[in-house]
Amino acid sequence: MLQFPAWKVLLVLAVLAWGVVMSLPNAVNMSGAPDWVPKKAVNLGLDLRGGVYLEMEIRPQDVIGGRLEVFARDVRTALARTDTQDPVAHLAEVNGRTMTIKLTRADASGNFPVADAIARIEKVNGPVEGGLAGGKTFDVARAGPDTIAITVPANSENLMMADALAKTETIVRRRIDPDGVAEISITRSGSNRLILEAPGEPDPQRLKDLLSRDGRMTFNIVDDSASSIAAAQAGVVKPGFRLISGPTTGPLLIRSIPEIVGSDIASASQGNDEANRPQINFRLNSNGARKFFETTRSNTNKRFAIVLDDSIMSAPSINEPIPGGNVRITGDFTIEEAQDLAAIISAGEMPAKVQFLDQRVVSSTLGEDSIRSGYLAAVVGLALVGCFMILAYGAQGVFAVASLAMNIVLIFASLTLLNATLTLPGIAGIILTIGMAVDANVLVFERIREEQRNGRSIWTAVQAGYERALITILDSNITTLFAAGILYALGSGPVKGFAVTLALGIITSVFTAFIFTRMLTVFWMKIAKPKRFAI
Amino acid sequence: MLIKFWPAETKIPFMRYRYVGVTLSILMIIGSFFLLATRGLNLGVDFAGGSVIELTESETVTVSEVRSKIGNGLTVNSATDTDGTRRIVIRFGDLDESLLGPEFAALSPEEKVERASSASNTFVVNEIKSTFNLTDQDILRNDSVGPKVSGELFREGMIALGVATVMMLLYIAFRYSWSYAIGGVAALAHDAIGTMGLFALLQIEFDLTTVAALLTIIGYSINDSVVVFDRIREVRRKYKQMPSNEVIDIATNQTLSRTFLTAGTTLIAILAITIFGGPVLQGMSIAMIWGIFIGTYSSIFFASAIVMALGTDIRRPGVPDDTPGFQGAS
Repeated sequence: MLQFPAWKVLLVLAVLAWGVVMSLPNAVNMSGAPDWVPKKAVNLGLDLRGGVYLEMEIRPQDVIGGRLEVFARDVRTALARTDTQDPVAHLAEVNGRTMTIKLTRADASGNFPVADAIARIEKVNGPVEGGLAGGKTFDVARAGPDTIAITVPANSENLMMADALAKTETIVRRRIDPDGVAEISITRSGSNRLILEAPGEPDPQRLKDLLSRDGRMTFNIVDDSASSIAAAQAGVVKPGFRLISGPTTGPLLIRSIPEIVGSDIASASQGNDEANRPQINFRLNSNGARKFFETTRSNTNKRFAIVLDDSIMSAPSINEPIPGGNVRITGDFTIEEAQDLAAIISAGEMPAKVQFLDQRVVSSTLGEDSIRSGYLAAVVGLALVGCFMILAYGAQGVFAVASLAMNIVLIFASLTLLNATLTLPGIAGIILTIGMAVDANVLVFERIREEQRNGRSIWTAVQAGYERALITILDSNITTLFAAGILYALGSGPVKGFAVTLALGIITSVFTAFIFTRMLTVFWMKIAKPKRFAI
Repeated sequence: MLIKFWPAETKIPFMRYRYVGVTLSILMIIGSFFLLATRGLNLGVDFAGGSVIELTESETVTVSEVRSKIGNGLTVNSATDTDGTRRIVIRFGDLDESLLGPEFAALSPEEKVERASSASNTFVVNEIKSTFNLTDQDILRNDSVGPKVSGELFREGMIALGVATVMMLLYIAFRYSWSYAIGGVAALAHDAIGTMGLFALLQIEFDLTTVAALLTIIGYSINDSVVVFDRIREVRRKYKQMPSNEVIDIATNQTLSRTFLTAGTTLIAILAITIFGGPVLQGMSIAMIWGIFIGTYSSIFFASAIVMALGTDIRRPGVPDDTPGFQGAS
């Protein structure tokens, strides 16, 4: 217990030196230091630096509904195109998690060709994506003499959710941070949730607006003939057309089937027009550029509408065929609006609408206040505990205070090493550790006092004190460590932040209080050669 | 000359008074349950759902101005920061549907339930910004928690608590014996229930931060109990024929000065949080001060009394009486 060979001393000193170097950037600006010196400070949580925390989810019914809508197009093609038979006339409707197909034309004997229709649908019903066990993406079953029900089996649903969540995560990142420079964090939680943390962002509404758009972008040809518009406004829309409007264009009649869709767009960015007003520039990919050239060639002197989420953004005239695939939208945008719209367009379409569950916003002023009060509380706490220990144990108390200071240094160093985030409850955890870390010292010192009272000499008393206290220290700290571990694993938000510092504090305090203080005590006894502890 | 915070050798017959202690504990537990049933916990937004918005108080933006101009269904209070600046704290649940606009009215009933807190939050924030001519930077804090998340957070917290308790029970049973495990966990439950009772009595806001405090109290309580248990085990090994009450009394007296010193230093650290840590940590630190007292008390009277009733023997099948423990490690 009291032997400290050179390697042990060196090891302890190395750990402490590592702690000092790792935690120094938290106290001093290290930008002038040489390259090998770590410069990373501890990550501060949103409650300390200010910013927006948003928790959102995509709902399974929306994801599945969306997938069924897409499948409905394949079904329509499958039932329409055939070499030997007439098309199967039908109506398809998606309602929540089920698509119902109702056949509308019976044969001569009054039967509907359900079996034939199912066989044709099964041909376009591919295997589950990414599923190794095989199985079809959709369940297709007869649901009546003229009805077919298409549903999604459970394993297929899970894969669809995983895929939709991954896509949503990418789109969320691209929309909020199109340049990939901001320090945002997006984490998945459960099967359908995302947690977004954006430090420094003051406005949750802007983020929510950016994320709640579907981002469905299409180019549709406009029908400008006066008679069609008059008929549509009277309530009779031509088949194959839709009447929608936009803030600058008013209501327009557009073809339902788009010429260009979101997947044809390569990128979008904010630029400026000739009068230096913000505009949105886009570039189509090669497939999109070709389609756009064809469309503009066959529709010269018509207008096309650029539609985002069922609202017309712009409806320019086609004066001549446009090659190259570069398109721009001019309009009455502010720079921020143009940037946000460009980010939405280039990020692509959300697989399902995002629902916001939970929002927390902390201003940076409040964050600074919290850091200041947390720091003050820590310094005052440490100073008072230090005075108390020195008053109670003299020289031993000084060693305890030294190890307490090293303990805090090591907590910060390990927080930096683990890339953990320090939150306000985390600071409370550290302050609590200051109080509890001395417990290990107190246990040892009290034990030494007791052994001295039982008539032992100073060396044997110290030896016995450390030996006997070790079991107690380990038992009590391991029990608390269990609690901290469970809190980390199962808790969320502030509970987790608290658990991290508490757990690290327990480990570092056992090291500093039991090994570092002991080493100091042994050296002091060798140098000062006291007969007894003044206890 | 060092200050003696506690006399070196005491001979207090704790176990003679154990019935008094246990009676007090049971009364406190009954009282806590009564308070929890009648007054209930003052659930914060984390668990109840709804919104909290904080603003800096100024000459034009005051508590009474916010009350009179924003009004409807909001609870408006003030809080003082450590540096003396005053803040306005506005709390509210779901507002009346008529305020939330046509877009909200068009939603389906389930969607209304899910979105009401977020829509109410947006409405109030916009009202505040336009009424007082404020920007986003003037809003110090704006939390809004939907009904789905608040329920989950509560469940999650309770599960974490339950699992942590079982783990500690098993560890103590492994290191000591079942009677110690039951005593330690009973003391822990005693402290947790007593603290919840205090929350109900004082109507301290119960949120995720206070849950962290509750968990700290549990950690402290078990830590304190284990230190006493450890000494009981040691005394028991030394005096195999001594009656349990004497064993426990000796152990408790021997650890008494450590108990008070550790409680003292921890209290000092927590007092520093209470005084300087700002309003966010205040509820948490009040709970922890109470927790130190109750945790210390329960280790001596409640945990030890239960161990005494169940037996101080540490013999377990297959394990020799003098298990060496961790002595090999260093």
